[in-house]
Amino acid sequence: MIVALGVAELKLLLRNRTAAALAVLMPLATGLFFALQMDGEEGGWTMVVTLQLLFSFGFTVYVTVTTALTARRQDLYLKRLRTGAASDVVVLTGILLPVVLLGVVQALVLLGISVAAGAPVPARPDLLALALVGGVALSCAAGVATSGVTGTAELAQITTAPFFFALIIGGLFGSDGVVDLPVFLVPGTGLGSLVGAAWGGPTDQIGPAALSVALWAIAATALAGRFFRWDPRG
Amino acid sequence: MGLPPATSMVSMAETVIDVADLRCRYGDFEAVRGVDFEVRRGELFALLGTNGAGKTTTMETLEGLRAPFGGTVRVLGLDPFRERAALRSRTGIMLQDSGFPADLTAREMVALWGVTSGRRATEDVLARLDLQHRRDVRIKQLSGGERRRLDLALAVLGRPELLFLDEPTTGLDPESRQRTWDVVRGLLAEGTTVVLTTHYLEEAESLAHRLAILHEGLVAVSGTLVDVLAAQPARIEFDLPDRLDVTALPMLAGDVVHRPTGRVEVRTGELQDDLAVLLAWAGREGLRLGRIRAHHASLEDVFHNARTGREVVAA
Repeated sequence: MIVALGVAELKLLLRNRTAAALAVLMPLATGLFFALQMDGEEGGWTMVVTLQLLFSFGFTVYVTVTTALTARRQDLYLKRLRTGAASDVVVLTGILLPVVLLGVVQALVLLGISVAAGAPVPARPDLLALALVGGVALSCAAGVATSGVTGTAELAQITTAPFFFALIIGGLFGSDGVVDLPVFLVPGTGLGSLVGAAWGGPTDQIGPAALSVALWAIAATALAGRFFRWDPRG
Repeated sequence: MGLPPATSMVSMAETVIDVADLRCRYGDFEAVRGVDFEVRRGELFALLGTNGAGKTTTMETLEGLRAPFGGTVRVLGLDPFRERAALRSRTGIMLQDSGFPADLTAREMVALWGVTSGRRATEDVLARLDLQHRRDVRIKQLSGGERRRLDLALAVLGRPELLFLDEPTTGLDPESRQRTWDVVRGLLAEGTTVVLTTHYLEEAESLAHRLAILHEGLVAVSGTLVDVLAAQPARIEFDLPDRLDVTALPMLAGDVVHRPTGRVEVRTGELQDDLAVLLAWAGREGLRLGRIRAHHASLEDVFHNARTGREVVAA
């Protein structure tokens, strides 16, 4: 069932031009742009890679999950799926799966482009993997939660803005080196810090960074449980 | 009772849906305020009522989409909300709104539903609903009637033993409506139990074995179609000839109302007798009763009385 739901969702995503452009072309284009901006300055690559990853998490996962779930709810497709045999968890997993896979593939493609363009290979790939998994989980849960407070797919452009920018800005703070602990309260900081450490940056804040990512993922999941709705009538 | 004999035998035996003192709330508003009814195997049960009477809320509770606020609901012996998963492969549901993603084709939707409904397709449902030629068209390009037929096709996929139809013919043209009725009759003949809501009373009158009319969250009328109609007085109407007073009429079993327009209305439980007396009297007196009409109660009358608060309860 999950596969059938996932395939249907992927078709829906790719057949809707706006959603497809936002989820696929936008992060690829911006990621490529960042990579080509680099003129071989050594330290700059950390920022480029951080931005590439965060755009994949932000656009491809967070905004797309929010928009897709809101549109499916608006169409009453979610309500219909609940009249079938799939449990709520299976329905959600099926719809989220292609978006998550797309986000991961995109992040890896962009990293590949950067390395091909001259970026160093990460010194600590384990930290990169942690950032990748944590970032996708956090963005996905946040998208489910945000869709709960988003009435229409058009409104998603507005409702996703605060968390999206917090993710990017926090990521830039985090990747820049050692930060004050309260800065880890911004959602992207932990991710940026992990990416920075993976590319040879200071590793003394790995603990707080991982904790920040985990806590944000847990908080987003809790908010998703609280706010998510299946039926527009509530 | 208008049921084929074999079905009647079965219907006596088994209750498929049992609703007792059902209450449903939206916040502080109690949409359903204590509803009781039962549906037996093999019958078509019609749930009627005006907008806001509580039909869809009741249906959604039976379908397991919402938990009741009070009372008990058993569907095929199970709690539809808690045991939703166990019920799904046995029930087909057509919601009031189709809930289609616009960018899938009809064929893709049927394939997806074959997996997610838990009921494998046993026949070409698109052909059954005359949608074969539209199978590769995206749902957003289908007409309203075609979408509703696709919706029915998905609900009957894999022949569920219990079918919920929430306003299946709203917005359909007469031909599509007829096709829907044919499909429903076919399923009934195969032994499927059907719960139907509709705004078209003639639809309920031609399909239902038993019914309940909801009004403001309560059951105003319930019973078999035959009993519900029989409990209502029949009507004789005619124009009284000029200068004749209503007191000149012969003794009738029913109640006589003389309208200011000059029209006389007799509401009677003895249609044949009263009509015979009236016509014999008119013949003897040499009178012409203008625009005479005599008819048994229709569901329309029952419905109207239920809404205006005239209580009718059939056995």
